[in-house]
Amino acid sequence: MSMLKSSRWLVGGALLALVLGRFLPEASLSFVDVFLGRPGDAWLLLAVALLGGWLWQQSQSKSRHSLAPQDGPTQRQQPAAAQQRALVETLLSTHLSLEQVIDRKLLEVVADTEGSATSIIQEVRALYDSSHKLVAYLDSSGLRGSTMENDISDCVAFLLDLGKFVHQLPDKMKRDMESVQSVVKEINDLSELVSSVQAIAMQSHLLAINAAIEGSHAGPAGAAFRVVATEMRTLASNSSDVASRINVGLARARNVVANTMADSMSESSEQLQTVSAAGDSILRLQENFEDMRQFYKIRFSVITKYNEDLLQEIAEVLGHIQYQDVVSQCIQRIRVATAQRNAFFENAVQQYGQDDAELAQLPPQLLAILNKFVSEEDKHLHSARHDDDAGSEQKIELF
Amino acid sequence: MIVDDSTTMLMSLRNSLEIANFTVLSASDGLIALGKLNTGPKPDLIITDINMPNMGGIEFIGKARALPGFRFMPILVLTTESQQSSRDEAKKLGATGWLVKPVGGADLIKVIKQVLPGA
Repeated sequence: MSMLKSSRWLVGGALLALVLGRFLPEASLSFVDVFLGRPGDAWLLLAVALLGGWLWQQSQSKSRHSLAPQDGPTQRQQPAAAQQRALVETLLSTHLSLEQVIDRKLLEVVADTEGSATSIIQEVRALYDSSHKLVAYLDSSGLRGSTMENDISDCVAFLLDLGKFVHQLPDKMKRDMESVQSVVKEINDLSELVSSVQAIAMQSHLLAINAAIEGSHAGPAGAAFRVVATEMRTLASNSSDVASRINVGLARARNVVANTMADSMSESSEQLQTVSAAGDSILRLQENFEDMRQFYKIRFSVITKYNEDLLQEIAEVLGHIQYQDVVSQCIQRIRVATAQRNAFFENAVQQYGQDDAELAQLPPQLLAILNKFVSEEDKHLHSARHDDDAGSEQKIELF
Repeated sequence: MIVDDSTTMLMSLRNSLEIANFTVLSASDGLIALGKLNTGPKPDLIITDINMPNMGGIEFIGKARALPGFRFMPILVLTTESQQSSRDEAKKLGATGWLVKPVGGADLIKVIKQVLPGA
């Protein structure tokens, strides 16, 4: 495109110089005209120069065009082996580029799985820590529960003693009532004795009166006798008064006891029923407490068992994550073998078509790479499998 | 002490052992592990990989056994390799046992308690 433009400028310039030299001979370039001797010759000279330049450019262009067709026959004359080698080199180059991309991808995969594995380990560890806290909490709750259980057991034992006492209370009350009744009987017996004392006092009084009368009949000789009779009458009167007061006191005591017994008997029936019910309630409370204790004990045991299982599973998960390293090492071995194979192919392409003896060595070299890879993989047969019984060798061996 | 060049393995083993109340030292190859054995606290047990950069597990076992005070320390090999010839070589150099990756937490602790009674 640039060459076409310059050609146009050269031709155009030459035509312009001819026109100017023909129709405007007096125009500028006078110093050249002076040098050449005639007006307009400068324009003619310029036109010739421009045309010369154009012709030179055309010849250069033809020269280049004439060279181009000569290359075709040269390529066609190349040997077929060289063309095939170039083709193989191109294929190898593309193949190696592809291998580089695949290798980068494999490394990315290894890095990604390692990143994922470490994240899983961190998450699992966090899960373990939470679970561990739960176990510690349960242990602590169990200890507090044991303390509480002991306290409650003491209280229940006390309540059981109380219940026994309450159950024995009706019999005790009955025995107390019988004692009171015997006291009342004693009081009644005393009342009879008081009546006897009163009768004796009456007879003594009558006897004293009769003695006084007989003393009067005796005259002065009966004076002392009358004094004794008077004293006997006084004694009889006093005895009668005392007996009366005792009788009043005994009657009052009998009334008090009788009223108390009546009240007690009326209330004790209801109280005994209440006391008996309280005893039954205490026994039921003790039974319910025992049931509740067993209920929570079983639940604590179940939760603790599940949590221990969870901890064990977490430990196993941490073990399974080690497969990331197993896979990573496997990929690494594949990368090594692939790199050896690629180096082999590069070497093979360089030797292609040069030395038949060396070419003959290529197949065994490739076979050696294959055998080395297979041999290396044989060392890792066991770990390549996920099921523990797959390998013939022991997975764990102590020497 | 655990010796492995894999971050995953180090993390997995560390957590499995810490869960079982062990204190864990770690090294990413045999050379670093030897340095730690020379300067740091003496571990009760070593678990080492075989294929590692700078210094592999087999060489590490040989050199660790040569250190004073490490003649009878349990050294377990934990590797992806399972070939008998490799086991024999490790045994010859003084390894206590051979474990093929992966090893579950319960199995690992069981083995450790076998070689470290009272742990």
